[in-house]
Amino acid sequence: MSAAEPATEVDDEKFLARLKAFEGRTVGAPTEGPDAVNQAMIRHWVEAMGDENPVYVDEQAARANGFPGIIAPPTMLQAWIMRGYKATAELAEARAEGRRAVGASPADDLMHVLDEGGFTSVVATNCEQEYRRSVVLGDRLSVSSSIESVSTEKQTGLGIGHFITTVLAFTDAAGEPVATMRFRILKFRPGTGKSTAALSGPPTAGSEEPRPLRPRPALTHDNAFFFDGARQQKLLVQRCASCGILRHPPRPACAVCRSFEWDTLEASGRGTVYSYVVVHHPQVAAFDYPLPVAVVELEEGTRLVADLVGIEPDAVEIGMPVVVTFVAVDDELTLPMFGPAPA
Amino acid sequence: MAGALHFEDIKEGDEAPVTSHTLTRTDLVRYAGASGDYNPMHHDEIAATAAGQPSVFGHGMFSMGLLGTALTDYVGAGNVRHYQVRFSRQTWPGEELSTKIVVTSKRVEDAGHLVDLACTLANADGEVKVVGEATAVLPSRG
Repeated sequence: MSAAEPATEVDDEKFLARLKAFEGRTVGAPTEGPDAVNQAMIRHWVEAMGDENPVYVDEQAARANGFPGIIAPPTMLQAWIMRGYKATAELAEARAEGRRAVGASPADDLMHVLDEGGFTSVVATNCEQEYRRSVVLGDRLSVSSSIESVSTEKQTGLGIGHFITTVLAFTDAAGEPVATMRFRILKFRPGTGKSTAALSGPPTAGSEEPRPLRPRPALTHDNAFFFDGARQQKLLVQRCASCGILRHPPRPACAVCRSFEWDTLEASGRGTVYSYVVVHHPQVAAFDYPLPVAVVELEEGTRLVADLVGIEPDAVEIGMPVVVTFVAVDDELTLPMFGPAPA
Repeated sequence: MAGALHFEDIKEGDEAPVTSHTLTRTDLVRYAGASGDYNPMHHDEIAATAAGQPSVFGHGMFSMGLLGTALTDYVGAGNVRHYQVRFSRQTWPGEELSTKIVVTSKRVEDAGHLVDLACTLANADGEVKVVGEATAVLPSRG
């Protein structure tokens, strides 16, 4: 199957079955990294990162901070088991020649299947690391990797692709666990992105297109106060001047007593998530995806719909306390959004 | 280093000192060598443009490491227990990347005195590149 030939549904199912066959596959025995944890590689890494913490390079400083000796930066974890340039080059060569490289892992084979399916581009999307102990000079780390999941075909901002989640378990020379890492990538078909938003381009690129603005609210006599309030960092809620009932979104008359008289109440901005969705599709270029959107119940008693910010979509829960934050989405428009409330 | 941060020194809403770094192509070459990640998209301009990218772009793990550096500078190396990120945008040479780390909660559990932190890395326009969260165990004076 190539990108040029439209796939039939049967082909799609067969292809997905090929991908799904990789789920749960592991590389047999733990594979030892090429070198012991060493000062030279640590130095390269911290210099690349601009990390000046002395516990990575100075024995005395490390001991003064309670370590048995020099430690490696925690996020350097993966570097100790990378196969290096030679093996990477051999793998690329084998792939170009359409053969399986010596020492190719199930993950490599999966990449090959995806390449054949036209999903030739790759981008990292998530990384999670858990540390059991600090990695110290002289450690010999080994890794066991397994393919945790292969998603069905997804439309993303970058293009149509599959998410691949791999779990790496790191152990030391004694076989004791040191850390785990879960890594998710997107293998996608180049040129199939629906949105330019996810790929904003470098600041120097001449061809860069400005990001489209968010849709403008339709301002009326009844709702202008809400957006004016947001610009002044105030969350204003419409209140019936006759019976005192709060209402949102703004409208001309009270649904309870039918009065046309109203004023506004400045809400505290505190509330809870009454309900929420995470928007993946369809994607509009002015927004970031996945986009969590909640119905927030304000402590004053009414509810409103707003974007959630500062929280992973997976972490949103119904009932969680949230607090308003005002986001200037562009020069003209400020919107109230909600983030997790400090406990 | 300043004195070690203790559990009692911080409260919810506290922010770690911001660190900023302007990404260069040389950084990416250094990082490729230091990490063993030789994906040509990160150092080979010709390969990157041939693949439809506007230029080479930063390794996701480089961004995670930059943010991790601000994290360990704040809570202390060796104290981070869990650190996870989502790579929301690519990073490009020339961009100034700044960290923002906020204490979101404190709790005492069997595992020790734990703090949860919300971590983001964004460019000078406020475009978020990496959003994540971390948990660290801090020493206590109690």
